[in-house]
Amino acid sequence: MSELQFIESALKRASRRRRLEGLWRGFWQGLLAGALVWLLVFAVFKVLPLPAWSLIAAGIAGVVLLLAGLLIGAWPKTSLLATARWVDDKQHLQERLSTALEVASSPATGNWKNLLVADAAQHAKTLDPRRLLPLRLPGIGRWALLIVVLGLGLGFVPEYRSKTHLQQKKDAANIRETGKQLSEFTKRYMEQRPPVMEPTQKAMETVAELGDKLGKATLTRSEALRDLTSVTDRLSQQAKELGQNPAIKPLERAAREPGGTSSQTPESLQQQMQALQKSLGDAAANPDKLGKMKNDLLKAQQALSNLPDKNSAAGKAAREQLAQSLSELAKQARDMGQSLAGLEEAIQALQNNQTDLALRELQTALDDLEKLRDMAKAMQQLQQQAAKLGKDLAEQLKNGQAQAAQQTLQKMIEQLKGANLSQEQLQKIMEEVSKAVEPGSQYGKVGEHLKNAAGQLQKGQKPEGTQSLAEAAKELEKLMQQMSDAEAMMAALEALERAQMAIAMCKSWGECNGTGCGACNGMGCWMCMGKGRGWGHGGKPGNGVGTWADDTGWTYFSDDMGRWDNSGIQRPDMDSRGHTDRPDDLNPNLVPDKVRGQMSPGGSMPSITLKGVSIKGQSSVQYEEAVAAAQAEAQSALNQDQVPRAYQGAVRDYFDDLKK
Amino acid sequence: MSTEQQIQSFRQTWEALRAEIGKIMVGHTDIVDGTLFAIFAGGHVLLEGVPGLGKTLLVRTLGEVLDLSFSRIQFTPDLMPADILGTNLVMETPEGRREFQFQHGPIFAHLILADEINRATPKTQSALLEAMQEKQVTAGGEMRKLAEPFFVLATQNPIDQEGTYPLPEAQLDRFFFKLLVGYPSAGELTEVLNRTTTGAKAQVDKVLDGAGLMGLQTLVREVPVASHVKDYAVRLVMSTHPKTESAAPISSQYLRFGSSPRGGQTLILAGKVRALTQGRFNVSFDDIEAVAPAALRHRLILNFEAEAEGITTDHIIAQVLSEVPRNAETVNV
Repeated sequence: MSELQFIESALKRASRRRRLEGLWRGFWQGLLAGALVWLLVFAVFKVLPLPAWSLIAAGIAGVVLLLAGLLIGAWPKTSLLATARWVDDKQHLQERLSTALEVASSPATGNWKNLLVADAAQHAKTLDPRRLLPLRLPGIGRWALLIVVLGLGLGFVPEYRSKTHLQQKKDAANIRETGKQLSEFTKRYMEQRPPVMEPTQKAMETVAELGDKLGKATLTRSEALRDLTSVTDRLSQQAKELGQNPAIKPLERAAREPGGTSSQTPESLQQQMQALQKSLGDAAANPDKLGKMKNDLLKAQQALSNLPDKNSAAGKAAREQLAQSLSELAKQARDMGQSLAGLEEAIQALQNNQTDLALRELQTALDDLEKLRDMAKAMQQLQQQAAKLGKDLAEQLKNGQAQAAQQTLQKMIEQLKGANLSQEQLQKIMEEVSKAVEPGSQYGKVGEHLKNAAGQLQKGQKPEGTQSLAEAAKELEKLMQQMSDAEAMMAALEALERAQMAIAMCKSWGECNGTGCGACNGMGCWMCMGKGRGWGHGGKPGNGVGTWADDTGWTYFSDDMGRWDNSGIQRPDMDSRGHTDRPDDLNPNLVPDKVRGQMSPGGSMPSITLKGVSIKGQSSVQYEEAVAAAQAEAQSALNQDQVPRAYQGAVRDYFDDLKK
Repeated sequence: MSTEQQIQSFRQTWEALRAEIGKIMVGHTDIVDGTLFAIFAGGHVLLEGVPGLGKTLLVRTLGEVLDLSFSRIQFTPDLMPADILGTNLVMETPEGRREFQFQHGPIFAHLILADEINRATPKTQSALLEAMQEKQVTAGGEMRKLAEPFFVLATQNPIDQEGTYPLPEAQLDRFFFKLLVGYPSAGELTEVLNRTTTGAKAQVDKVLDGAGLMGLQTLVREVPVASHVKDYAVRLVMSTHPKTESAAPISSQYLRFGSSPRGGQTLILAGKVRALTQGRFNVSFDDIEAVAPAALRHRLILNFEAEAEGITTDHIIAQVLSEVPRNAETVNV
């Protein structure tokens, strides 16, 4: 290797080392810049409500700066001459290397070239790039590390957010969530029960679009409520127009009655009853027996939990006795055609001296029994509904059982079309149709068609009569469709109201189901129509009751209270006190005195003292059920802020104590 | 003789000259070195110092160690240019004819000591201009070449300024170096007393003749200079130009005029000599910085503000040296 090559080799090594050092320094510089940016944004984020994406952007900027630092540090590829100058300066070589390189590259330099190169090579031997550029943590690196540590430390500092901001954020999230729920609900409704009429379809689509808009856009509470109110306004108008048809009022009335059967046909009821009968077996006829069995199981469960020491003789005896009583219960269940697997397992566990397992299995058996009881009750309800179904067309029309009436008409039409219709059957149809003319007159043209049919059949004009009956059936179907659309409209309005309530009270969609209808799960039905939204099947309080809603809130719907004529509605006594009969001649001492409510937060609750004797008689409702119902009511009232805040704790404690 | 041998010879000569001069001169090594730098670079030197510091002695010693003809001219207000350059005299030939003959003045020597040069009138001072730069004189309408090597070593006294004529800028610029002769230290003064108050008189030997000196001057000019070192010299000179883009702030503040291109030439040439004296084959930044004060101090013209504030050119040069970076990516030339 010549001296010049030796110099160049040494300089190349120095150049590589210099580049590495540049990379190293660039890394720290980039880290410092990136960490500074991040720290700055993070610090601002801690005190000001910057959007979350600003942190992500700062993080990206930090990484970009770090990479840029690396790139800038490693980018400059210095020439050998520049490296030589740099080494000359660093090693105090008096410009020997740089001059030698420069002179060596020039053509006419004579002996000086050799002298210079030899001299430079002599000095290049002492060149050690690692010693010249040791990779130590640079001063800037210390600052960078400090900033990084500060940034990490800042992560533990809680963010400062004003109450207003927090509220706005909560509102925005709630509005988005409510919008999504509103949209989902409306779309699901449209899928399950697609509206027939175009205006209703459009109205539903408008609600879904509004839900989408609320779910995506960032709106303030007042903006969201304004939009909701605007759409609700239009829908209310449409619903009002839809509900003005007097022909659907009987249908509406029928639907509103408990166990309303407007949409139930005898066949569907029969099918449901058969299905339940199949599951229940003999137990279907004995719901009381199931209740008794449940009580026995509860007693057994209690006894099992209080079992003496399992190794003692008393414990063994008790266990055997318990196993025996459980075996009897299992036999009873088998007699009813039911097999409680949990019970058998519990007996087995008890025999094996596994008390914990027995308790668990017993609980399973109890749950199964509870389900059986529910099914038995449902069976009873269905039987009641079936009993209420009209026997003939007239009764069906009178009871507002449109579906059943339509089916009856269809049957008649088929009979009339049949070739082997006897005179007696024709006479029977004529009588039934004639009888149904009067109740049918309340369904608009239905009565007219029936009247025509009766006349035509009497005149022996069978085809014309059949045609009139078909038109009556068609008219009924049209009315049912209108009712269905009105239900859809009401469901949309319910959903809008629920959304307004959720947004106005800043509660989640799920929490604002107080106005939802238990019978239709908020999907809208005649049970919840026209009662003034807020009064569902459960008799929940409605608009403005115990609430502090503002003028633009959900109390807006108070104008719609008079939309339906519900004067003839007989409401059941749904109070949570149970089904205790109250005689009309109630002892005046039992009439509660009116006590003016006094607000004294923190103080004792005002109480009402009832004078007189306790109510005699036996409750037909189990205590647990009454307590559960009361607790549900109380919880609902608490959730809807119907109880003054100062008394909420006391109310909650009271109803919790009832359970004990 | 190879370049290496020439360089070796230079080093030996350099050491020998210093040693011989050292026999007579006590201390003032920087002045001696500066003077020798100028001689090897082929330049003239202006020595400034109060009387009695050995300025004349130095020049006379130099004349003795160099095997060169030596003239001393004592500048006085009544000194005429002809007294320096020479004049045509009517001379009678052996044949009895009378004819004009040029009588050479003291300028016709290799080494000229222009003692107290600022005491002569500008007219007389200017007589040196052509000689110093062109190394020729024009007298009686005839141009006459001066013998080479030709050096002017001038002295001037900074005090007792009454009746003196400060050298014009044009003439100052022709001096390679301006060296400031300071007081000796206590030890040096003791040595001076020892040497001059006893009967012993030191004898110096001739070290270098004219031809040898010129050969070494040629060698000096061959010393390579890296481009970035040249750039540095250029930037130094440029930074003394007041009110220009490249001017150092202090130059703009305190200078009326900056260095001429001769300042740059001086920096490089003197740097080359210094490199050789240090055993190097190339000029370094240190060389340039070391010679900068002597090379530039008489080429910078202070403004009124600097005069009023007592700012010297040496102060400005030091500031410029600290401000101008050695390595620069671009050079404003």
